[in-house]
Amino acid sequence: MEQIVFFVLGFVVLASALTVAASKNLVRSIFMFFVTLFALAGLYVFALADFVAITQVVIYVGGVLVLMLFAFMLTNKEVLNNLQQGSKRFISLQKLPALLVAVLFLLILVNAIIKAQPDNLAWIQASAQSGNVISPTDNMVPNIGISLMTRYLLPFEAVSIFLMMALIGAAHLARKEEHKF
Amino acid sequence: MNPTLPHTDTLTIQLAIVAVLLPLAASLLNLVLVKSQSKVSGWLSSFAILGSMVLSVLVFAKVWNQPALHAQQLWFVVGTMQVDVGIWLNNLSVLMLLLVTAVALPVHVYSIAYLKGDDKYTRYFAYLSFFCFAMLALVIVDNLVLLYAFWELVGFASYLLIGFWFIREKAVLANKKAFIMNRIGDVALLTGILLLYADFHTFNLVTLFDNHATAAFIGTADNYWITLPGACFLIGAIAKSAQFPLHTWLPDAMEGPTSVSALIHAATMVAAGIFLLARVYVLFSPNVLMVMTIIGCFTAFMAATIALTQNDLKRILAYSTISQLGFMMMAMGVGAYSSALLHLAAHAFFKCLLFLSAGVIIHEMQHLKEKHNLDIDPQDINNMGGLGKYMPVTFITCIIASLALIGFPLTSGCLSKDGILVQAFLWADNKGGFYIIIPVMGVLTSLLTIFYISRLLFKVFLGKSRLKAVMPAWHIEAHDGSPLFKIPMIFLALCSLFPLFSTNPFEYEHSWIYRGFAIAVHTVSALDYHTIVLLSINVLVIPIAYFAYSIYVKQKFSFKTTSLLFKISFNEWYIDRFYHRIIVKDILRIGDLTKWLDKNVLDGTIHLFANTGVAIGKLTVWTDKYIIDGLITMLTLIIKQAGNFVRGFQTGRVQNYLFTMLLVIVVIYVLKTFI
Amino acid sequence: MLTYLLLIGAGLFCIGIFIVLSKRNAIQVLIGIELILNAAILNLVAFGKYDKLNNGGQTFALFAIVLAGAAAAVALAIILNVYKQYKTIDPNAVDKLKD
Repeated sequence: MEQIVFFVLGFVVLASALTVAASKNLVRSIFMFFVTLFALAGLYVFALADFVAITQVVIYVGGVLVLMLFAFMLTNKEVLNNLQQGSKRFISLQKLPALLVAVLFLLILVNAIIKAQPDNLAWIQASAQSGNVISPTDNMVPNIGISLMTRYLLPFEAVSIFLMMALIGAAHLARKEEHKF
Repeated sequence: MNPTLPHTDTLTIQLAIVAVLLPLAASLLNLVLVKSQSKVSGWLSSFAILGSMVLSVLVFAKVWNQPALHAQQLWFVVGTMQVDVGIWLNNLSVLMLLLVTAVALPVHVYSIAYLKGDDKYTRYFAYLSFFCFAMLALVIVDNLVLLYAFWELVGFASYLLIGFWFIREKAVLANKKAFIMNRIGDVALLTGILLLYADFHTFNLVTLFDNHATAAFIGTADNYWITLPGACFLIGAIAKSAQFPLHTWLPDAMEGPTSVSALIHAATMVAAGIFLLARVYVLFSPNVLMVMTIIGCFTAFMAATIALTQNDLKRILAYSTISQLGFMMMAMGVGAYSSALLHLAAHAFFKCLLFLSAGVIIHEMQHLKEKHNLDIDPQDINNMGGLGKYMPVTFITCIIASLALIGFPLTSGCLSKDGILVQAFLWADNKGGFYIIIPVMGVLTSLLTIFYISRLLFKVFLGKSRLKAVMPAWHIEAHDGSPLFKIPMIFLALCSLFPLFSTNPFEYEHSWIYRGFAIAVHTVSALDYHTIVLLSINVLVIPIAYFAYSIYVKQKFSFKTTSLLFKISFNEWYIDRFYHRIIVKDILRIGDLTKWLDKNVLDGTIHLFANTGVAIGKLTVWTDKYIIDGLITMLTLIIKQAGNFVRGFQTGRVQNYLFTMLLVIVVIYVLKTFI
Repeated sequence: MLTYLLLIGAGLFCIGIFIVLSKRNAIQVLIGIELILNAAILNLVAFGKYDKLNNGGQTFALFAIVLAGAAAAVALAIILNVYKQYKTIDPNAVDKLKD
């Protein structure tokens, strides 16, 4: 049962991502991206990272996607329509180089992953031996909170400052021009 | 100049040089400074020749019967050959100097009136003065190179003046003919000069002929190398003096203005041939002299027979001139050196006078022709007649000249002709046998002369005007013309009488010219021949003249124009026609052939070269354009394409950069992993 | 399980690359970038399972999500400005540094 759900989620992730790639319609691709993110969140849960899954849903679905929709609506619809006039086909001459590179990367990555045999990696074997593996019953949220406030305090603060700077910058960039430069 | 000469001699030489240079100056002035058709040119030339004449008289007085004057200066040196330039004044030179100027002066004056209104008036006088210069220089130079040069210049001036009215085709043909005929003689002359140089290593006439040793050597040595240059000189003289067989140019040369005919083709230039013979006389071996005699005699006879039937006034006179020149040639041949020169001088005056008279007549006929718009030849004596009463001065001067030509007593011709014939008889006596035919033919020629000149006189001046006979309504107005015609003619008429030449009208030996040149003195039985010659000519003048009178004025008899003899005479012995058939045609054919060869073979070859060159050029252009330029263009194209290819990466498109980046990553991975 | 997660991440990464390279719309390109980030996050999470003590994988996954959000915000602001400037959001049309 677990296995089936996992593979279904994996399939959904890849299929929806492919639909995003194939879709001409921006709105449709944004919504398919939404589906991908949800499915990914599901996969995080399978990887025993509940908190990350929640964060994923909150930040991506609540923040990024909404931003994207705003951006889409703020840009000229005519231009977007004109853009859709291009090739209808998924595989076209223009896209061939991109497809080539993508397939090459896929081959390389798959090759690398299979060669590496991640389940038999030394450090994974070691942590499995020492019981340093998250079990499905563990509640990892307090553990993460303590880690953020102790071991990862400096990155946490840096990220928060960076996030604030980015948001301020984004707001500054996106604001309406009151006056000419 | 030779500094050893005494002062007066230097002066004399300088005077002679000035006398020669005056006409040249006039000629150059006329050519360069004087406006065309300006009246000034005629007087300028006339005064120049007058100056020359005065100077010539002075020089003559100084030199005649005195030791010859000779001055020279080094001209140029080629190897061991030294050529001097100088003048040699002896009796012959100064006589010719005086003669030429004395004949040229009246002709100049006459020309002023004769050429009036011609549109090349100035040019005419420039040419005429130039001729005088060349002729005067010819007679005084002392070496053969210069002599040859002036000989050619004289011929050139003659060429210019024969073709003076060069818009007439006949004039152009005539001057061409004269030039070519003379060229034959000139080549011979040049050969002779070079042969002489080969013999004696000098061109100097004085060294050659005034030196007794050389003269003696030449005289005694009857060798081939002396005979040959002599023969060459003879051919030169034959061409210049229009002797058989090179005589045909002279009648045609009458296409020039009549005044030119008078000066050049009657009095002076044609006499240059005789002058040349006189200059180099010692050179001639007995054989050459013999040939000279025969040619002279034959020419004299032949020309006289032709003159009998010609209708063109000037042609008759031209043949008469040839005939008289033949006499001179014959005289030279028989050793009557001084008589020949005496005849030369006398002939110059009376023939010049005859031509000038003819000029007046032609002038008047031309007037008539233009006035009445007639289609006649103004020179045809058949259209004349009865002109005597209209132009008395011309008539009288013409009679005097004719008598001189006949050799009638009291004229100059009597003296000179007597001299020639008497000496010819003496020569024949010495030789004996058949040689008597030479003087006999001479006498016969004299009789023919009487006839043709009588015919001319009667046809022109006596009888009824033939024009008036055709058209009685016309009022003929002919007259002697302006004083510029009359004065020169009267002057020449006076010069044609005996007192200028001798105090004794019957004894040529008394003539000062004869004495000036006497080489041998013939006393033996000379008197007998005097009588014979005088009688034979003078007694027969009356009946022959009467015979002519009865034919041409009374018209009692007439000649059959179909008879063979008449035809031969009328067609000038067919010599011209013979030349034309045999020589001219063949030469023209050769000319056509060479032209054809030139056009088709030579030009063809050249065109082939040219075309090949053009083809090579085109090929080069093609190669340059397509191969060399192509290579360079290809190179640039490759570079351009490479540039474009490389530029293609620098699109400024983020996705392209990213693509490249990823591709590089893939490549690096592949390289690291699999290789 | 781990291998499968990694393979799904690899597929997601490649799809992201394809989108980034081929799309003519900056927003879609941004989606591609997000996909690539998510593939990375998926790997962090998958390996994070074997680090119970320090929670390195999950913590950095959180950081990455936060940074991705910030990046998306900045990117969209930039897209808006580009649109204002060029009246298009085709990344290929935006090939001038200065106009």
